Amino acid sequence: MPTSPDKSPRVTVEERLFSLVLALIATEIGLTKADILATVQGYRQRFTSGGDNANLERQFERDKDDIRELGIPLEMIEPADDPGNNHLLRYRIPKGLYNLPPDVSFSPDELMLLKLAATVWREGSLSAESRRALTKLNSLGVDSSDPVLGYAPSLRARDASFEPLSKAMDRGQVVAFLYLKPGEGSPRRRRVAPRAVVLHEGRWHLYGADQDAQATRTFLLSRIVGPVVAVPGDTFVPDGEGKGQRALDELDALWAANVAELEVEAGSDAAVRLSKREAHGPGAGTTVTLHYTDLDILADELAGYGPEVLVRSPLALRQAVRARLVGVRDAHIGTTLGSAT
Amino acid sequence: MIARPPALGASDKLTFLLSLIPYLMDHDSVTVAEAALHFEVSAERVRDAVRLIAVSGIPGETHQYLDGDLFDIHWDEFEENDRIVLTHLVAIDDSPRFSAREAAALIAGLQYLSSLPENADRDAVASLMAKLTRGASATPTQLAVASQDSDSAMAVIRAAGHDGVQVEFDYLNARGEHEHRFVDPLRLESIDTDWYLRGWCHLRRAPRTFRLDRMSELGVTSIQIEAHDAQLVLPDALFQASAEDLSVVIELPASALTLLADYSPDRATTSVGGDRVRTTLRVAHYHGLKRLVSGLAGLVTVVEPAEARQVVADWATAGVARYEATGEA
Repeated sequence: MPTSPDKSPRVTVEERLFSLVLALIATEIGLTKADILATVQGYRQRFTSGGDNANLERQFERDKDDIRELGIPLEMIEPADDPGNNHLLRYRIPKGLYNLPPDVSFSPDELMLLKLAATVWREGSLSAESRRALTKLNSLGVDSSDPVLGYAPSLRARDASFEPLSKAMDRGQVVAFLYLKPGEGSPRRRRVAPRAVVLHEGRWHLYGADQDAQATRTFLLSRIVGPVVAVPGDTFVPDGEGKGQRALDELDALWAANVAELEVEAGSDAAVRLSKREAHGPGAGTTVTLHYTDLDILADELAGYGPEVLVRSPLALRQAVRARLVGVRDAHIGTTLGSAT
Repeated sequence: MIARPPALGASDKLTFLLSLIPYLMDHDSVTVAEAALHFEVSAERVRDAVRLIAVSGIPGETHQYLDGDLFDIHWDEFEENDRIVLTHLVAIDDSPRFSAREAAALIAGLQYLSSLPENADRDAVASLMAKLTRGASATPTQLAVASQDSDSAMAVIRAAGHDGVQVEFDYLNARGEHEHRFVDPLRLESIDTDWYLRGWCHLRRAPRTFRLDRMSELGVTSIQIEAHDAQLVLPDALFQASAEDLSVVIELPASALTLLADYSPDRATTSVGGDRVRTTLRVAHYHGLKRLVSGLAGLVTVVEPAEARQVVADWATAGVARYEATGEA
């Protein structure tokens, strides 16, 4: 049987958050913090009238953040006649901004694609975000169509800097990190306003405003060494729209400008796989022309093919691959580690 | 950037409550089982949510959460027939918007899937992404994934799956052997930029995994696929450890361990000074190992067995020789 909420001795976190959302949607003029603590389910049970409610106030601040993280527009209204008076601040959730716009609807086929898109993220916070987005999509009551063939796509963002960078981007937080540029002996500290994080040619890149160089730069996440830290007090207004696409366009231009000419051994793994990336369309010959974004990353990959690939040009790539192979050879000559030297 | 650990469970539960209500509004009467199936959650989770919704509401004018201020359900239907009928609504009557990160996760996922035949219609995908952007409460986080050209191999495999027929192709395995395969396509899987076909291999009479970029001469046959569903369960993991696998001890910087997560199931390491550690990899044969180690040049060194060191050294030596044969470095 239904029980009156008054009598429940302990209110769960979700019940408190749910009650707060309902109360703030239902109010037109907004509720003050005092109203909320004294009357809303989950707070009122712990509220001491006229006493010290500091703990409860901190609880409310955290709840506000959690609710906003879910995309719920929790607004603060300053009193017109007494701006800056925190006691008179009113909180509310405008229904028009809470509700999904009426023209946003999805067909069964679209829903099938979105469900598949949500399964792409298997790890990290984006997998939780995807799951919640799917729950919201399901609220629309549309049943998705079934794919013909099973798909199990997955995208990993294993770079340790991925999560802190993508979160800093949302908060408009300038960050600092050590960056090891290839060819430089030691990493250098960079201060960057992160604007986009993009996956290009299988690698995650950060696109942002380098605060010291006063210019836009692109960084490979795999070359960020050590933690990404917030620069205290250094923030910017996130105005990301279109930045991700701009970052990809710049990387595409770089990719198109870089050309490597390779010779591959006929019938080898290198021939089968690299010819699929042939710049002049799928080829079958022993010469392969490839575009690339980053010379060092391509050199790593090509070194893996050992004698199946010979780099013709450019010279820098040729030298980079040869140097890698020499390094691997020298490290493995002799039956035990270090026995050759 | 020390973030407070998110109250993940509560956020998920709140999202479910806010999403279940508009769904129930649109369905005058729905069973717990139907709702659970639709949201892909357990029946118990639906019941818990319904019980909470039914006693929740707003403080109201009296601040006492009186009956009229609360949601209500048809309790007899719920308790006797496991059926949900909302009889009174409070405050919300529509689906919530997506957060900036939720919309971004789906948009980036869609971009990643651009090589699927289903996504061949770029305009349809663009309109879908625009709808997600419009349905978000803030500009979606700028996470973007470069679009890949629609892969012709995937279109062929999907067509075969649609018609229920086998595919055939020349396959170069990791040992460097070419074989002609006939395969019942069952599932397409991917990890980052690598795509794999999982299917029943008629040559091996067993389920096998094939890299799409190692296939040549791929074609659709007119041979019907066999009925597998009952006896064939594809393992979840793409890479299967086998009793015949060889153990190889390698040394590498601790920070590079994530690069090898697929080969090192236990991830047990011993420190050898500085930031360098040793760990044991499981590999099917040394052909794959020599490619792996050479492609991580300067990071990974094989410690033992000696035979594995020799295979890697020979591979790199042969590679270097090609440059010496052509003269200048």
